[in-house]
Amino acid sequence: MKRDDPGKGDRHLLPTGPDGCFAQKVPVPVSRAKLRWIEEPKLGPAGRTYLPLFLGGLTTTLRHLLGRKVTVQSPEERYSPPDPLIYRGVHRLNRDAEGRVKCVACFLCATACPAHCIDIVAAESPWPDREKYPQTFNIDELRCIFCGMCEEACPVDAIELTSLYDLSGKSREEMIFDKAKLLGIYDMTKDAEPMRSSRNGG
Amino acid sequence: MPVLEAPQILVIAAALAAAAMWLMLPRVRAGAPSRAAGVVLGLASLGFFASQLPGLGDWADGLIVFVFSGVTVAAAAATVTVHKPVYAAIWFGLVLLGTAGLFLVQGAQFLAVATVVVYAGAILVTFLFVLLLAQPEGRAPYDRTSTEALVSATVGAVIVGVLSIALGRALSSPTLAQTMPPAARRATGVLSEHHVAALGTELFARHLVAVEVAGILLLVALVGATAIATVRKEHKP
Amino acid sequence: MPTLETLVKIALLIAGLMTAAAYLVLVERWVAAWIQDRLGPNRVGIPLTKVRLFGLGQPIADGVKFLSKEECTPAYVDRLLYFLAPIIMFVAAMAAFAVVPIGSVLPIDVEIDGTTRPIELVVAPGVDVGTVFVFAAGSIAVFGVLLGGWASNNKYSLLGGLRSGAQLLSYELPLGLGILGVVMVAGSLRLETIITQQAQSGVWNAAIEPLGLLVFFVAGFAESGRLPFDLAEAEQELVGGYHTEYGGIKLLLILVTEFLHMFIASFMIVILFFGGWHLWGLTGSGSEVTWPVAIIRVLVLLGKVLLTILFFMVARWSWPRFRFDQLMTMAWKVLLPLGLVNLLTLAVWVEYGDRVSRAMGLPPLAVMAVCGWIVLIVAWAVLAWALPNTTDNRPRRESAGEL
Repeated sequence: MKRDDPGKGDRHLLPTGPDGCFAQKVPVPVSRAKLRWIEEPKLGPAGRTYLPLFLGGLTTTLRHLLGRKVTVQSPEERYSPPDPLIYRGVHRLNRDAEGRVKCVACFLCATACPAHCIDIVAAESPWPDREKYPQTFNIDELRCIFCGMCEEACPVDAIELTSLYDLSGKSREEMIFDKAKLLGIYDMTKDAEPMRSSRNGG
Repeated sequence: MPVLEAPQILVIAAALAAAAMWLMLPRVRAGAPSRAAGVVLGLASLGFFASQLPGLGDWADGLIVFVFSGVTVAAAAATVTVHKPVYAAIWFGLVLLGTAGLFLVQGAQFLAVATVVVYAGAILVTFLFVLLLAQPEGRAPYDRTSTEALVSATVGAVIVGVLSIALGRALSSPTLAQTMPPAARRATGVLSEHHVAALGTELFARHLVAVEVAGILLLVALVGATAIATVRKEHKP
Repeated sequence: MPTLETLVKIALLIAGLMTAAAYLVLVERWVAAWIQDRLGPNRVGIPLTKVRLFGLGQPIADGVKFLSKEECTPAYVDRLLYFLAPIIMFVAAMAAFAVVPIGSVLPIDVEIDGTTRPIELVVAPGVDVGTVFVFAAGSIAVFGVLLGGWASNNKYSLLGGLRSGAQLLSYELPLGLGILGVVMVAGSLRLETIITQQAQSGVWNAAIEPLGLLVFFVAGFAESGRLPFDLAEAEQELVGGYHTEYGGIKLLLILVTEFLHMFIASFMIVILFFGGWHLWGLTGSGSEVTWPVAIIRVLVLLGKVLLTILFFMVARWSWPRFRFDQLMTMAWKVLLPLGLVNLLTLAVWVEYGDRVSRAMGLPPLAVMAVCGWIVLIVAWAVLAWALPNTTDNRPRRESAGEL
């Protein structure tokens, strides 16, 4: 931000010095009597020789050096998330009881998405129970940060994150998942991971 | 013993060196042609000087000495003529390495290594430290132009000329030839294989007072620097 | 004069160092992984087969990867110095190995200038100033770091370079003090003589002057820029420090140089303080050797060096990095006084110790070792008591609350 540009953002709330920079002392809205300094704990005579800290660090590393390893040798062994229902992996689009896509194209997930990876084209719904449905529904899995905000935002529990974590592809285009693929993931995972809500007939 | 045959050649060489340095120093209206002319004149001057050097007998020894001296002199010229201060420091580092190499050829291992440790390792690094923070591009006027190019080049060349003539005279005089230790004895003093012990004995026995005085001087300088550095002004807002 | 013998030694040394650096990178990755409860690289073996060899093919794969990387130069760097810096660092680090003995001697006599002598396992045998030479080569390495940081034209690089320059400059002092103690006891700057002296007395310098070992060890760590002291790189703050802008083969050169610094530090620690190739009852101490003894001496030296390097690797994950003011406090207020105390003790010892302990009828070296340990404990305790135990980096109390 330039100096001759006052009042933008939150900066005007802070006092500025004559040259427009922050003043050295930020006002503290409490009286000095209530101000309490938190100090580092004082070291004892043993601690001051640095030896306990030295040995402590060394024993910790040596313990781990000789300890049990947690590596999963991936292609041969499979890692299974301890609770697949709360794992945030690849998305899926859920189907309702009649096998139709549950999504009502309300764009809440696309709005909530911090990475802007969801692209929906809405069309008038051919079914009487809703106004709109997604004509296309694309998720760019390369942009997705797997935060799960879309899942949180969805009012009809149509988009969910599965426990599939090892997605890969040979091109960027291949990694943009369309509606058919996302529904396919639902078909693939619905038995292992049942839908988390049965609203709107799940 | 080599005899200084023609001192006038040394005079010519020194004059050429002065002209070369004047042309190479960064002046207000000096461009690339001027510098190129300076380089040519400088090489000619070096050639004249070299023609008067006594040979060392063994061609390999002679080549090593010539290469080291040439690199040292060229780097020294570059040190004072380049625009960018950081490059000047690098060239100076090369001067020090060349000097250390010359010491090494003479058999003074300790002096060679000490030159590198003290000058290149400590002093020059401190210079670099400041240079890196100060003027990275060499745009300051005192980097672009040298104020007294003519005077400094002349004075430098006069000193070099006088020194080389004096050295040439001294090397070719018969008295020195007698005082010079013979080759067999030379290998026992500070030039011997175990010369560090000899050097130490020399320094701390014969020159003990000088060493101690220098040490105290450095200590005083250290304390003084600490005293200056720790004075803090309290800022009253 | 360069002889065939010297050229062969140089070739073997360079080949050995580069291979060792490549494989110790693998070892370092293993150790790092094990300490973090992982397995580390264990897959790359013989290409196009399923043979894994515990990942021993990894260094070759790493090398190929580095060599085949795009050679890109950032737009606003100072091109000459940007290319020169890694070269200076690498050459300086390699040059230091010219005087480092890899063993004692081989039982083959060669005739040079009319005198026959056995082949010594040093590139430049008989350098009278060996320790100072290593020191000088180390001080040249600072140039590479400073210039690399500056030439990259990047604020992180510059900060890394400056930090590293200040660090290396400061720690050269305690490093020198640590070396001086050993030199005083051995009475020579020559690394071969220092080893021989320890081998003949059978007492390593580590036992005689533990304080010197402590000072040299910590300073050596700092000089090699490994983790408790790696402020020059400090990935969390400075991206990569002075080599942020480097890539491909130039980065490889810089990383190999850092390993070489670790080698040099380990070799110096082993040679100066842990007896070099000497091990009681196994290697003997004379200068006349047979083939088995010559080989055992090489193996003992390299084994000790490997153990030191492993300690370097474990230390990397054991303690947090120092803050910059702590780093400087350590150099100037802790290691420098300790080094001076060590030097003073040894000077007094060298002058009077032998006579006094003989007069008392005790073995001199045992008395010296006891004295050394007492000095270490006392100096350490005094220092711990004298230094402020926390660093006060609060804003000033009086003015902070004012409005």
